[in-house]
Amino acid sequence: MNILFFKLALIAYFLSTIGYVTSILVKRVLVAKTSTWILFSAFIIHTIYIVFRWMETGYSPVINLYESLSFIAWAISGSYLAFQTKTKTRILGSFVSPVAFLLMVEASASGGLVGDVSMPAILKGWLVPVHTMLSLTGEALFALACLSGIMYLIQDSFLKKKKSYSFSRLLPPLRDLDRINHICILWGFPLLTLGVIAGSIWARTVWGSHWQWDPKQVWTMISWLLYAFLLHQRLAIGWKGKKAAVLSILAFAILLFAVAGVSILFVTVHNFI
Amino acid sequence: MSIILIGMNHKTAPLHIRERLSISCEEDSGRTLNEIKKISQVHEVMYLATCNRVEVLANMEDVEGSAEKLKAIILSHGNLSHEEMKECLYIYRDDDAMRHLFRVASSLDSMVMGEPQILGQVKAAYRYSVEQKASGIILNKLLHHAFRVAKRVRTETGIANNAVSVSFAAVELAKKIFGYLHGKTVLLVGAGEMSELAAKHLMNNGVSKIIFANRTYENAVRLANDFHGVAVSFDLLVEKLREVDIIISSTGASGYVITEEMVIEALRRRKNRLIFIIDIAVPRDVAPTVEEIDNVYLYNIDNLQEIVDENLRSRMGEAEKAETIIAEEIVNFASWLNTLKVVPAIVSLRKKAEDIIEGELEKSMSWMRSLNEEEKEKIKILASSIVNKILHDPITSLKDESQNSGADPYVAAIMKLFRLEEEK
Repeated sequence: MNILFFKLALIAYFLSTIGYVTSILVKRVLVAKTSTWILFSAFIIHTIYIVFRWMETGYSPVINLYESLSFIAWAISGSYLAFQTKTKTRILGSFVSPVAFLLMVEASASGGLVGDVSMPAILKGWLVPVHTMLSLTGEALFALACLSGIMYLIQDSFLKKKKSYSFSRLLPPLRDLDRINHICILWGFPLLTLGVIAGSIWARTVWGSHWQWDPKQVWTMISWLLYAFLLHQRLAIGWKGKKAAVLSILAFAILLFAVAGVSILFVTVHNFI
Repeated sequence: MSIILIGMNHKTAPLHIRERLSISCEEDSGRTLNEIKKISQVHEVMYLATCNRVEVLANMEDVEGSAEKLKAIILSHGNLSHEEMKECLYIYRDDDAMRHLFRVASSLDSMVMGEPQILGQVKAAYRYSVEQKASGIILNKLLHHAFRVAKRVRTETGIANNAVSVSFAAVELAKKIFGYLHGKTVLLVGAGEMSELAAKHLMNNGVSKIIFANRTYENAVRLANDFHGVAVSFDLLVEKLREVDIIISSTGASGYVITEEMVIEALRRRKNRLIFIIDIAVPRDVAPTVEEIDNVYLYNIDNLQEIVDENLRSRMGEAEKAETIIAEEIVNFASWLNTLKVVPAIVSLRKKAEDIIEGELEKSMSWMRSLNEEEKEKIKILASSIVNKILHDPITSLKDESQNSGADPYVAAIMKLFRLEEEK
C-alpha cells in the first residue's frame, strides 16, 4: 500500500520538475505556479507515505539508505515550500524539484522499495531516529543553502559582466538569495548539531565512547566546523553575498561527501544495512 | 460595410505636421468625432490622437468618395495643404486596418517599441467614443479584441521585457540586486538631467530616501527641496557611503570622486551590505577598480547604454513573434465579422418562425382549452422543436458559407424564399 504512495510521490516530483523546466523555457509564470502546486501535492503524498511506512514497519522510516534519501527529498521540498510562501523565489523550485526527484529515483534504485528490511537490534530505541531525522533535516536545509548559493553566484556573475541576459530575469534578486542562504544555515546548523549530539550519546551506549575517529564522523566534523566558521563570519564579522555563498557550497560538498562518498571509499563503522 | 483606418504616425509624417494635426484635433476631439459621425456612410467611429500619431477608425460603407470625405475632415483640422498631407496619410481597409489597429495597441507601431502607454491611450480613445455613442457592435468587438491581442503580445512575447532607457535600466538592475526597493536610500552626487531622471524612477519604484551631495551646497539644497530629500555637504560623502544602498554620480570633476579605498572602508563599516553604484559622469567619477570589489556593482554610462541597445535588439526579435500572434487574431476576428453578415438573415428567419408558432398556437387555443397546463406546455414544446429541427440545417449551412465569403447569394435566396424583411 505505501509503495503506491511512494510511486505517486515520485511521479509528482517528476511532473513538477518537467513543469519547472518548461516554465524556464517558455517564461510563463502560470506554468511555474502550477509546478509549485504539483510539488506541494508531491510533498503531501510523500508525507502520507512516510507516516504509513512508519506505522507499518513500527520503526522510524530513516534507517537505511533508501529511506534516508527519500527523507532528504521530503525535507528539501518542505523547506523550499515554506520559503515559497514567504519570498518571491519561485525559480528556486526549478533547482529544488529536480534534486528531490533525483533523490527519489536514487532511493527507489537502492532497492529498499520492496517492503521489509530486517532491523538490526542495535538500532532500536529512540536515539537513532532522533539522530537521523535531525541530521537529515539539517542536511536538507544545507542543501537548500547550497542551491541558493549557486544561484547567487550565477546572478552575481551576470551582474558583474554587465550584459543583459534573459536568464538573469528569472533568477531572484541577490538580497533574497543571500537571505535564504543565511536562514537555511541559521536553522540547519543547530539541527545538525543536535543530530550529531544525539548520535554520539547513542554511540556511547553501543560502542562505549562518544567519538570513534570514523571517516564519516571526521568528514562530517570538518564540514560542521566550516558551517560554524561561516555562521560566525556572518553574525560577527558581517559576511554577506559572494564569500558566504562560496563557503556554503564548499561546506555542503564536504558534507555530501561525508554522507554519500565515505561509505564507498572508506571502511566505516557508520554502516548498518 | 467595411472597417477603414486613416491616419498618420511618426514614420509617415514629420513632427511639424503631426504637431499641427494632433494639437488642433485634441483641442476638441468631440467636435471631430461628431463631424465624422455626420458623414452618412459612417456607422461607427473612433478617433485617437497622441503625440506620435493620429488615427481614425471607422466602420462605414466603403462607396465611392466616402473615404475621401473622411480624409477631408482630417485635412481641414490641421490647416494643411493636400500636397503636404498626401505623403503622410495612410489608409487601410478591412484586414489591413485590423492589423494596423492590433499593431498599434500592442505597441509594435510605437516609436519605442513595447512602450506601455499606447494601450492606455487607445483605451481612452475608445472610451470617449463609447461615451459619445459613436461606437457600436463592430467597433466594440474590434477594440476589445485589440485589447486582448495587446495582452497576448505582452504576456507571450518578450516585447515589453527589459528596459530600453538608461534610467529604467538602472532601476531594473537595482531590483535584481535588492529585490524590493522599499526602504532603500539613494545618494545623488552632483546633478544632471539623467541622474535626476534615474532618481525619479527609483523613487517611483519605492526608494524611500534621497540624499543629495554637491560641491555647491546651495544646489544640493535646491534639489533636496524639489525631491523632498536631504542635502549634505560634499565633505560628508565618505560618511554617507556607509548608509546608502544606491549611488548615482554625475559630477563634472576631472578626477575620481569615489575611490577604491573609500568603498572598501564603507563596505567594512556597513558590514558588507550590497552597494549599487551608477557612474553617469564623463570623465568618470568612480575609480574603475571599484568594480572588482565583492558586493559592489558598478555600472558606468557605457555599460548601461550597452544593456539598453541589447534590449532593443531583443525586442526586435520578439516583434516577429508578435506579428504571428496578430496574424492569428486577424483570422479570428475576420471569421466573427463574416458570421455577422448572415446574422440579420438568421435573426429574421428565427423571428418569422417564432411568429408562426405563436400565431398557430393562438388559433388552436379554442380546442386546447380542454387540456391541462402540462399538456398545453408539451404541445408548445413539440411545435418549437419541429421548427428548430427544420431550421437547424439551413442556419448551420449559412454560417459555414459565411466563412468562405460566398454567403451573399444564400442570404439573398433565404430572404426571397421566406419573404423576409431585412432588419435595420
